Amino acid sequence: MDFLSFIPENNDCDFDRLMRVQQKMTARIPTICPERAEIITQVFKNTEGEPIVIRRAKAMAEILKTMTIYIEEDMLIIGNQASKNFAAPVFPEYSIDWIVEELDEFEKRSGDSFSISEDTKDRIKAIWSYWHGKTHQDEVNMNLPEINRLAEKQGVLHRGGISMSGDGHIIPNHDFVLSVGYGGIAEIAKEYLKKDNLKKEQIDFYKAVIIVMEGVLAYIKRFSILAKEEAKCQTNRKRKEELLYISDVFAHLMEGGAKSFYEAVQTVYLTHLLMMIESNGHSFSFGRFDQYVYSYYKKDLDTGIISKEKALEIITHFFIMTNSLNKIRPWNHTQYSGGYPLYSNLMVGGMKPDGTEGTNDISYLCLEAMNISRLPEPNLSVRFCKNTPHSLILSAAKLIRKGFGMPSVFCDEVGIPAMMTLDLDLETARDYASMGCVETAIPGKWGHRATGMTYINFGKVFELVLNNGFDPATGIQLIKMNGNEGSEVEYETYEELWQAWKTALKFYFGLAVDCDMVCDKSLKYHDADAFASSLIDCSLERGKTLKNGGAKYDYVSQSNIGPSVVGDSLAAVKKLVFEDKILTMKELKKSLDENFESEEGARIRQLCKKAPKFGNDDDYVDYIVADVYESYLELLPEYKTDRYGHGPIGCGYTMSTSNITSYVPNGFDVGATPDGRLAGKPLNEGASPCLGADKEGPTAVINSVSKLPNDRMAGGQLLNMRFSPGALEGDENLEKFANFIETAKYKKIFHNQFNIIDSKTLKDAKEHPEDHQDLMVRVAGYCALFSTLMPEAQDAIIARTELDWN
Amino acid sequence: MSDVKGLISKIQKYSTKDGPGLRSTVFMVGCNLKCVWCANPELIDSEPQILYYAERCKKCGRCASVAENNSIIVTEKGCRIDRKQCVNIEECAKQCFYDAYETVGYQITVHELVEKLIRDEAFFEHSGGGVTFSGGEAALQYAFVLQAAQLLQQNRIHVALDTAGLIPWDRLYRILEYIDLVLFDIKAFDSKIHKNCTGVDNSIILENAQKIAEIEKSMIVRMVIVPNMNDQMDDICARFEFIKKLGSVVQQVDILKYHKLGYGKYILLGKHNRLIDNPECSLEFISEVKRIGESMGLITVIGG
Repeated sequence: MDFLSFIPENNDCDFDRLMRVQQKMTARIPTICPERAEIITQVFKNTEGEPIVIRRAKAMAEILKTMTIYIEEDMLIIGNQASKNFAAPVFPEYSIDWIVEELDEFEKRSGDSFSISEDTKDRIKAIWSYWHGKTHQDEVNMNLPEINRLAEKQGVLHRGGISMSGDGHIIPNHDFVLSVGYGGIAEIAKEYLKKDNLKKEQIDFYKAVIIVMEGVLAYIKRFSILAKEEAKCQTNRKRKEELLYISDVFAHLMEGGAKSFYEAVQTVYLTHLLMMIESNGHSFSFGRFDQYVYSYYKKDLDTGIISKEKALEIITHFFIMTNSLNKIRPWNHTQYSGGYPLYSNLMVGGMKPDGTEGTNDISYLCLEAMNISRLPEPNLSVRFCKNTPHSLILSAAKLIRKGFGMPSVFCDEVGIPAMMTLDLDLETARDYASMGCVETAIPGKWGHRATGMTYINFGKVFELVLNNGFDPATGIQLIKMNGNEGSEVEYETYEELWQAWKTALKFYFGLAVDCDMVCDKSLKYHDADAFASSLIDCSLERGKTLKNGGAKYDYVSQSNIGPSVVGDSLAAVKKLVFEDKILTMKELKKSLDENFESEEGARIRQLCKKAPKFGNDDDYVDYIVADVYESYLELLPEYKTDRYGHGPIGCGYTMSTSNITSYVPNGFDVGATPDGRLAGKPLNEGASPCLGADKEGPTAVINSVSKLPNDRMAGGQLLNMRFSPGALEGDENLEKFANFIETAKYKKIFHNQFNIIDSKTLKDAKEHPEDHQDLMVRVAGYCALFSTLMPEAQDAIIARTELDWN
Repeated sequence: MSDVKGLISKIQKYSTKDGPGLRSTVFMVGCNLKCVWCANPELIDSEPQILYYAERCKKCGRCASVAENNSIIVTEKGCRIDRKQCVNIEECAKQCFYDAYETVGYQITVHELVEKLIRDEAFFEHSGGGVTFSGGEAALQYAFVLQAAQLLQQNRIHVALDTAGLIPWDRLYRILEYIDLVLFDIKAFDSKIHKNCTGVDNSIILENAQKIAEIEKSMIVRMVIVPNMNDQMDDICARFEFIKKLGSVVQQVDILKYHKLGYGKYILLGKHNRLIDNPECSLEFISEVKRIGESMGLITVIGG
């Protein structure tokens, strides 16, 4: 075993077994499981007329009491989401039509395929008629204004998961769960229920919480019985003892608080899993794991109950098990998020609320566990601040060097001020954690869905600006930049062009907010989740679900794709047309329309490509890209979410450049752009420079990104860099790389993530996936097995500039 | 101080092999040694060079149409350029819309250069890095390097000079005033071997090494080992002995493993490389060289 810094001193951690289960999980087979769908259908049929929060609670309780359960062979951490490992449950209440339509397609997909049996297909078809017309998606479709549909046809807006699945995007208050248990939460609900003058909404909510927690405890007890049975037939003595131990633990687990480190970790996993049985969002995240389990670890370590080695084993089992969970998405969403991602972020390191540094043993052990598990989940992130031990960064750098994209690193010196731009006090802001890819939230205090609302394709908006609002591809025109129909428009000055951009962005942003609102209002009903809600501060006190305003804070962000393409394009137009005057707008426009074909097109494209590009520490263009960010940021204060006035602090918008793989399919819809990009090619990823545009090396990329308003990006900023393996070889280069990461704190770099793989390996993996089954890459805020991505996304990753500086 | 111009090919940022910490290496154009193994052949002549990339060429023929003496012929594999006859290759290159031609080498003033370099100050400071002047032979453009190094030092940036040492001492001495660390190349000890490999005698080079040691300027000595050229064991030992005598100013000896990564550039330049079939250095041999250096009490590192 090749450790980062850990040296095992005893045999408490069975590394052979870890290798075995790791390999098994790497070869996991994605399938679809209809059980949950059938149970919820039955419960909904039986509970017509009851309040939705109660119906959902009853359904969840029934699912937990009757679904197939199993104990994954060899595992210390147990609990299953569906009837088989890596089987995705079905959530018909959010959307069903596409599932039925795509039943025969799941197996044929070029990425994220699922194997599905004929029996499963039949069972899903059988429930279709009950749900058809009643789902969240149906309600959204009914309420979405026609103009939004047209904006979607143009390719400017994309509705994303919010229109057809649950919300997800939540970091529960694990501290709270671990201290009182699910039983304790039910007790709290019972106490509240005794109060006078409760509203019906509150009574329903408390009742739902009690129902759901009772179901959860029943589910846990089922495992106690199962473990005991399995122990009977188990011949391996060690495993037999483990099963008996599990049986004992599960007999009373979480009736009250966690009693040991093992119970704490097992509970963290269960809470995660249970949220993913209740609802099918994604980005259910773990928050600051090293902070909230540390006291349990320390107590067990001090009393000799566990060793550091045993703790590592438990954490690694937990990490591996998070990969047993799965989710199905429609094909058009899969293009936006390839590689079966669940975005279950887990964060270690960083400042505590009191301002002291929080790194502890668990922080290091999580890095070691990831080094052993090498699977896409959890999405491991490291926070660091001025006082973070250099050894933690060095361990993180060593893990990054392994080449599977984790951890990503967050800099407190930027993240905390960014969170402070919301109405947070300093102590609260210091407790931020990453949720999903790079989005940020305060664990236990944020409602559902901090980000990933409606996607806005910045590249497309810019193309429309050049075409007077007329879309050359669809012929749809929703806004007329000069007041006239058609694509003819003249911009006499850069300022005119810039104002047109701002006008168009504001127009489409408004539509995107309308879309967010339609989806949010529908989810109030369809995502009335008693379990998840009860894990967030203030929900129990207020007697409200999150969607009704239960959370302490409420902020959302959309996903903006292509700010660097827009900035580079603006810079090219500014320089070539308005300043150097070596091109006319007409000439440029003609070449764009023709996708730079013809010799004249090639001449113009060369000029465009030579114009300043973001990512090279060139102030001229870097500040134009920063202007693009500002143009979005300045729109935000005017808009509120549906929860405004219903309890939470905030209820406003913030900005994030987390855009998963959407920069690839969003590029399909955008014609050639003045930065020299050809029609249909990818836009830029997050806040990263355009593919191949950064030619001055990694420090120049950092310097460019540092000019963006990173400390106002409270929704999270995404930067993805690729280094060749040689650049990190040996201790000396590793040290230099660690120094490079740490310098981010002087450079206002919110977040950075790295791929350490050479192009040759990636190209080979595309050609011969069978030889590279375990090749994991950093996609865009999360990691995925390279072989599971669709070819276009694979190409984009290959094309991402390889920073090989030696 | 007038703003002197220099001819450089590029600034390589995040450079990890040209001294301590994260560095920006400034590659200067022009060299007075002609090492047969040179990995940067575009930096030998003291003028911008034009590289031609056949794979980017669309065979449109625009370059050929202006080439004098019919010196460019468009073939199926791209353009065949008769470099001797092509007296207006710069003009030909300008015709290309597809970046098949690339000009290496551009003029930059001291202030422009320093303004670019100090942008990475935070990286230098945090990693203990700085700027390295390399090439080509950086010290040939001594007025430029001197002023740039002086300005960098005024900005508290660590400056290293990578040199082959064939520079009149009075000039080298004046530059060294503003240099924190010298990366000094010793290609051979025996003057015949040296001349065979580099085309020049090494007596001034060795003298300069001693003089640098005398003024107690920190040095890292770099030895490239090329099979069949300068891998004679007795000469390698002689190099080490010479280095040892330089004393404690030598912080480290870098053994540079000969590689052929730069040979593609000969093709792009339309030049021939004599060593194209020469074997690369074996790790065993390099390790043996390292062992010898260490046995003499020198801190010896492979790579560097």
